[in-house]
Amino acid sequence: MNHNHHEEQSRHEHDEAPAGLDRRSFLKLAGFSFAGIAIAGCNQAKVEKAIPFLIQPEEITPGLAYWYATTCSGCNAHCGMLVKSRDGRPIKVEGNPAHPLSQGGLCAIGQASLLGLYDSQRLKHPLINGKEASWDDVDAQMNERLARVKAAGGAVRFLTGTVASPTTRAMIARFLGGFKDAKHIEYDAISCSAILDAHEATHERRVLPRYRFERAEVVVSFDADFLGTWISPIEFTKGYRSRRTLEGAQPSFSHHTHIESRVSLTGSNADERIRVSHAEMHEMLRHLTTLIAAKAGKLLNTDAKLSQELATTIDSLATRLWDARGKSLVVCGVNTVQCQILVNTLNALLGNYGQTVDVEQPSHQYAGNDAELIALLDEIKSGKVTALFIADANPVYDLPNGSSLRDALKKIPLVVSFADRVDETAESATFVCPQPHPFEAWRDFEPAAGVVSVAQPTIQPLMNTRHLIESLSVWSGTRQSALDLIRGEWEKSVFERQSGAADFSRFWTKTLEDGFAEVSAKNATSEFNFSSVVSSLSTAASKASGELTVTLVPSLTMFDGRHAHNAWLHELADPVTKTVWDNCAWLSRRTAETLGVGDGDVVQLKVDGATVELPTHIQPGQHDSVVVVSLGYGRKGTDRFTSIGPEWIQKRKTVEEGELVGKNAAVLVRFTDGARSFAGNAVAITKTDSTRALAKTQEYDSLHEPNLLGDPNKERRPIIQETTFAAYATDHASGSFHKEQLDTMWSDDHKYTGHHWGMVIDLNACTGCSACVVSCQAENNIPVVGKDEVRRNREMAWLRIDRYYDEADGQFSVAHQPMMCQHCGNAPCETVCPVLATVHNDEGLNQQVYNRCVGTRYCANNCPYKVRRFNWFEYRHGDEMHKMVLNPDVTVRDRGVMEKCSFCVQRIQLAKIDAKKDGRKLKDGDAMPACAQSCPANAIVFGDMNDPESEIVRRMKDARTYRVLEELGVRPSVSYMTLIRNREEKKESHHA
Amino acid sequence: MNSRLLTVVLSVAVLLTASVFLTSFTTNIKLPDNHQGYEPVQPIAYSHRLHAGELGLECLHCHYGAERSRTAGIPATNVCMNCHKFVTAPWVNVKAESDRAEKEKRAPRQIVSAELRKVYDAFGLNSELKPDPAKSPTPIAWTKVNNLPSFVYFNHSAHVSAGVECQTCHGAVETMERVRQVPDLSMGWCVNCHRDANKNGVNGKSVKASLDCVTCHH
Repeated sequence: MNHNHHEEQSRHEHDEAPAGLDRRSFLKLAGFSFAGIAIAGCNQAKVEKAIPFLIQPEEITPGLAYWYATTCSGCNAHCGMLVKSRDGRPIKVEGNPAHPLSQGGLCAIGQASLLGLYDSQRLKHPLINGKEASWDDVDAQMNERLARVKAAGGAVRFLTGTVASPTTRAMIARFLGGFKDAKHIEYDAISCSAILDAHEATHERRVLPRYRFERAEVVVSFDADFLGTWISPIEFTKGYRSRRTLEGAQPSFSHHTHIESRVSLTGSNADERIRVSHAEMHEMLRHLTTLIAAKAGKLLNTDAKLSQELATTIDSLATRLWDARGKSLVVCGVNTVQCQILVNTLNALLGNYGQTVDVEQPSHQYAGNDAELIALLDEIKSGKVTALFIADANPVYDLPNGSSLRDALKKIPLVVSFADRVDETAESATFVCPQPHPFEAWRDFEPAAGVVSVAQPTIQPLMNTRHLIESLSVWSGTRQSALDLIRGEWEKSVFERQSGAADFSRFWTKTLEDGFAEVSAKNATSEFNFSSVVSSLSTAASKASGELTVTLVPSLTMFDGRHAHNAWLHELADPVTKTVWDNCAWLSRRTAETLGVGDGDVVQLKVDGATVELPTHIQPGQHDSVVVVSLGYGRKGTDRFTSIGPEWIQKRKTVEEGELVGKNAAVLVRFTDGARSFAGNAVAITKTDSTRALAKTQEYDSLHEPNLLGDPNKERRPIIQETTFAAYATDHASGSFHKEQLDTMWSDDHKYTGHHWGMVIDLNACTGCSACVVSCQAENNIPVVGKDEVRRNREMAWLRIDRYYDEADGQFSVAHQPMMCQHCGNAPCETVCPVLATVHNDEGLNQQVYNRCVGTRYCANNCPYKVRRFNWFEYRHGDEMHKMVLNPDVTVRDRGVMEKCSFCVQRIQLAKIDAKKDGRKLKDGDAMPACAQSCPANAIVFGDMNDPESEIVRRMKDARTYRVLEELGVRPSVSYMTLIRNREEKKESHHA
Repeated sequence: MNSRLLTVVLSVAVLLTASVFLTSFTTNIKLPDNHQGYEPVQPIAYSHRLHAGELGLECLHCHYGAERSRTAGIPATNVCMNCHKFVTAPWVNVKAESDRAEKEKRAPRQIVSAELRKVYDAFGLNSELKPDPAKSPTPIAWTKVNNLPSFVYFNHSAHVSAGVECQTCHGAVETMERVRQVPDLSMGWCVNCHRDANKNGVNGKSVKASLDCVTCHH
């Protein structure tokens, strides 16, 4: 009955349907027939082609990875780097363990610079007046133009970032030598000019000293973020950490005092962090100099005005420094000559020159000169310059008066840019002569006196680009390749400084193999001149405290903005704010309350008429008198990221229409006393009506249980266990706390007879620099998901760094904790998987099998560490060329499967196979995950817990070792070691 | 009436589907993605029977990657040229030409077989086997025979060094005129071989063949 009724109705509804078949019946029929056809037709093999070499290079076997030693160009530090090349494509970069500066570490930026190689938006050819041209056209027109400039005797200026390359420096000099009025000006977007200027005043040499943190027992930093972005962070992290190990019977531990108004990465690692306003910091520096001078028997009245409390702090600091004469180090990140002269005075009076501060073999990483830059800007404004060459610099973006500079550039008859894309500056250039990516070209560097290194190409150039020095050689008359030019220069000026190799070609080959060479450096001595300090010291009081000032800081991810096209870095959370895809105005809670703004409310910052509008981020631990803004955002062309991330109905764009990623805060930089001032500029701040939700990867800040869940005064959760050095010295187990294990239903039936992989992370070593996070991303093909997905807590990083704040005892502390799959012995995820897609193996690994996973997500719900990531979508690459960066040893996961840290099992497998092939046992260190390899602080140790000789077993036995949430009885394979701070009094611990 | 028609059509469809299933199960059980017996036509009719069988060349002579690398590798064209610089045609054809030349009292002509001509073309060589600037060298695009899904990682060197014969997975290639996929290359087939190796060893040598998922899936 019902059936007939239904049919009648449907016939009514589908009067026009032919042949009497209704829609439902048709679909039924079609379903059956298609199923049959599909099954019958499934066995058509997909035709795949295998295309071998025509002529195979003898040293290459397809499928094997080859490593080439080269030099990183991610920032000015020029760390040693190894590039892994597989079948002609670089797919991973790692630190070069033999390199004297970086010693195997490589930062997040260095790791991510690989992605920049596969950026399809790099210029594919040179441009003349914005139009595509050939190199022959460029050379012909350029020669004609240059001849005219020469004939007229016009002023030629060559503006670059710091040139650490001996060959490039020589080539620029040779090129400029052909003109009557020519000058090479260097400047850095993130300026260290004041340090060099101060040394010119106190040591009569304009040098940047090489800071030797490995020799410093007492470190005092005035807002120098030396573990994050300042000068050479990897070198400094290595040195700093080597002084803070707890090895040996009598461990020594350096003391680090950090004085700052913001919360920097370095400050978050300090033993003692003193939170002051920018003006107070200046006064403290003055007062400290007076005290140290008095101890050294000199009279130096700096007339510092300090509160009683700060004066007492400085008193004890002075005593500590004086007691560690020759073994202490004072550094300052403020770019004012006055401050840097005081720092030089301190280091000189403390006898640190020649010990922890090396001016005889100085650093060449920053050579920028702000005074010369200012002079050049004046020349440009007055129309004196006829030809301007700009390489490795983007002044229109990173100088405060960029827009007026852009207009001025348009009036210069000849502007040549060597940028790899039409950036803010290249827009106004007559010629744009794109340079190859550092991975595609020969380069050379001398980052510190006596350390020379080469960078070799690791891939055929992807675009029609030409190296700066090649272009200069063509325009100077003789065309030479970059390799010939570099070899020529080295034969002339570097070879004579080396000893060991009999002839140049052997020296060159050895250098190429190692990636660097240590040669003698010209030893120029210079004495500290105390009288110059007295005469140059101004006693004018610094700006009144209480006024709101702005502090502009290089971002750990974007640095000065040169990496703004790198999606990996955009999605790497800032180590302190945990913000991605944006920069923001950091305000203290009290300041935010006074202004009536909350997280995400947009505020307008105004410095001398220049304005920036940014969303607010409330930063605990920050001084009330400052607003902190990251530089490096708001770069032209970042609107390319508008639609990054998966396409779906509720998607919100990463970048709104017509906007860029973040805002350019460089407009707030001021020129004061011949240097660029990044901090201490008075700012007017006003609330606007708009809001802009920030995407943060971590929204919980405290180790205390939230009020909603329990008593806020209850004991702290022992996820981070910490102690003081004094307490550690008496009791090595101090601070580590083992909670009683809850009853377990698991039987102890897992016997690991072969390998048993495990990891120990030393929280005392980890600085939170996030190099491991990017290293993991590159190694394991982790996709970029975009701002909106991060806001929905759907970021895909297998390894994250949790950051916790603690404000007990009035001392603000920060702890960083890398967190990834703990590979539990009794894994809760394994028991709930209905399809056995996550199972244990007999080496203790918690395996995730993508091809079995059906995406129930039960495992993620049952994971106490929240380290599992679900592929909600198919994450396509925004840039098709990014496919070339994929690691062919790791599956690209599809939509609907779960994934998580695998302990880089592909590396373990390869190490095991290699050992088997050689007929030997696996050695400790043969299998090393990407995170452990890249760590500049050697915080991560991976190994076989069944190998009694291994480093991991040694660390597991250490009294400091504990496991996170061990009371659950899940028996994680990842252990942590207590965080140790060199503090005076023992902090009340959570279980006392 | 409509309902009757539907029943008829539906039962025909069910029968058809069932017959497809049945025939495939009785003749040759093939699940989706099983390409056992796949024998694609290659751009050059290269004979493994001749080279590896009759002439007795070792597999690793050309596929030397199998010893060192994840992939065995298809030899680069310059490997072919090591011999085929001199051997340009089957011996009988060359012999016949030289006999004929002797009879006709002239110098023998260069004999180049049609298949080898393709190799020389790839190298950009002219009829005298000299480089021809007009021709651009292009590598030969062979068709892959043994394909594994993209989430499976097989390492040749691990198996070769453990003493596994190439024929265990590739079949008697030395008897094949055109290469064919012999086993079904399914996971069960791999795992059974690993189990067997753990029990009986490989070539009399005891081995430990892993049964972990992550051995192949990562």
